[in-house]
Amino acid sequence: MTKELTYLNYLKQELLPTQWCPGCGNGIILKIACMAMEKLNFQQKGTVMVSGIGCSGRSAGFFDLDSVHTVHGRALPVAEGIKLANEKLNVMVISGDGDLFGIGGNHLLHASRRNTDITVICISNAIYGMTGGQCSPTTELTSKTLTTPRGNVDSPINVQALVTAHNCFYARSTTFHFNHALKCVFEALQHKGFSFVEIKSQCITNDGRRRGFKNSYEMMMSYKETYKINNSTNKLEHNEIGIIR
Amino acid sequence: MTKRLLQGNQAVALAAVKAGLDFYAGYPITPASEILHELVNKKTVKVLQMEDEIASINAIIGSSLAGAKSMTATSGPGFSLMQESIGLAHMMEIPLVIVNVQRVGPSTGMPTFPAQGDILQCKYGSHGDYFPIVFYPNSVAELYEFTFNAFNASEESLSPVILLSDSYVGHLYETIEETDYPISKRTLAPLGTSNRHFTGLTHADSKPATSDPEVHKNFIKHLEAKQKKVSKKYNSYEYIENNESDTLLIAYGAMSRVAYDFKEDFAIYRPVRIFPIVEKIKTIAKKYNKIVVMEMNTGQYANEVERLLHREVKLLPILGGKIDLKEIASKLRRIKKKK
Repeated sequence: MTKELTYLNYLKQELLPTQWCPGCGNGIILKIACMAMEKLNFQQKGTVMVSGIGCSGRSAGFFDLDSVHTVHGRALPVAEGIKLANEKLNVMVISGDGDLFGIGGNHLLHASRRNTDITVICISNAIYGMTGGQCSPTTELTSKTLTTPRGNVDSPINVQALVTAHNCFYARSTTFHFNHALKCVFEALQHKGFSFVEIKSQCITNDGRRRGFKNSYEMMMSYKETYKINNSTNKLEHNEIGIIR
Repeated sequence: MTKRLLQGNQAVALAAVKAGLDFYAGYPITPASEILHELVNKKTVKVLQMEDEIASINAIIGSSLAGAKSMTATSGPGFSLMQESIGLAHMMEIPLVIVNVQRVGPSTGMPTFPAQGDILQCKYGSHGDYFPIVFYPNSVAELYEFTFNAFNASEESLSPVILLSDSYVGHLYETIEETDYPISKRTLAPLGTSNRHFTGLTHADSKPATSDPEVHKNFIKHLEAKQKKVSKKYNSYEYIENNESDTLLIAYGAMSRVAYDFKEDFAIYRPVRIFPIVEKIKTIAKKYNKIVVMEMNTGQYANEVERLLHREVKLLPILGGKIDLKEIASKLRRIKKKK
């Protein structure tokens, strides 16, 4: 007998499969969010999901919860408004790197400064996937995208420094390190105050294939090779994943 | 009934509290800051000073969804920043009140001088088709009363309602009576009680997004019908008939107070619900050969009136925040003389 997949109860199953490309990391992160909520026994009544715009922005609609799909970059102030109006609610944000660090960067600074008790899961795929694959704030130096055909000349944004500057919970993981990412989200949800989980994710359709990856499996294996787990540090190196409280 | 000497902006804050305001998010801006200053001292209101106006409007979208009666106040520059999210609030059908105390623009303009340059921005500022209800009172007592109306209309229409003011009316001190006007109840269930999905995408009931043009057409029709139905309750205007005159002078907000000085020579019409335009203007205008719109912009409302009446409307733009009675009188005389 197969084990019942109870985390699916957090999703509107009639909407599955998702409309995301084959190999996309968003589905993995959706599952991680559901499993973390299940572990904490979050109830439909009392939990709210907020998202911004982009491929990641569609996440909120899949949850069998009250959910809000905001305009581009504004998931954080909307989530803050919800939390401050009703502090009993568990408020989660799932959004992308372009949404949270690019157009919404100012809100990240101030939401972490105010230390509002919300949990943010950032699907960090280093690309604007939905619009065709333009350079994003987390695109690596020299990386080739639609808008950086000769390689990115700017360094990626230092999210860790931004979030930890206000002594907030920051965790970094990848879609390859499934159990580690789950632990990060699980702990972030229990953290009182602003918590931020950056999960490196793959976009094969509009990023990976331009950089020579054959499929998303190869991209995930590159995470395996690049990132080492370090859960006992105050500062993660660029090739480390872990949790900073 | 208590009588109080209040500033226009203070009256808005006081009335908002009485109308059940729970949550306010805003960013300092001249000439609207007094509303924020008043509210931080109210124990029943959660006040959040945000990092900008974009954050402010989005925070009140969130708080309103979570069940709190919510408001923000700003001036032209901040109102421009809010436009995208005002469209979102129409799309998600969220009750909000947005106060815009206008100042001279474009851009930074003249921050402490009155203007009426945001008339069209109220109606057309965000992209796509939506149908806002906009009130524009011209006295402190009326600001107080219409703050109640703005909250009630927003709850009844499930849409953001705009309360316009200007640096003249907003900073004016007058004695008002603290009346307790009736309050409409919240009908939208708060977040965290169900599995609804609120989105800015065109959506069908069961689907978070759709590309069916019929669904979109029906939704726009629904927005328009809803606005028509609710605004009927608030057909607010002032009409001072003048059987001696062949000219109707239309003015609103600060300029309407100037218009009163000319009631010997002109019939005066003052819309208070400026959008959707009160249909009564059609029958009133028939009595007069000439129509003049006097406003502190280059003809924003005049164009709307002209479009509705299908006849020529003369403009009297008052720019730069300077209200010179002699100059206005001579200009009006010239307009009246011309055939």
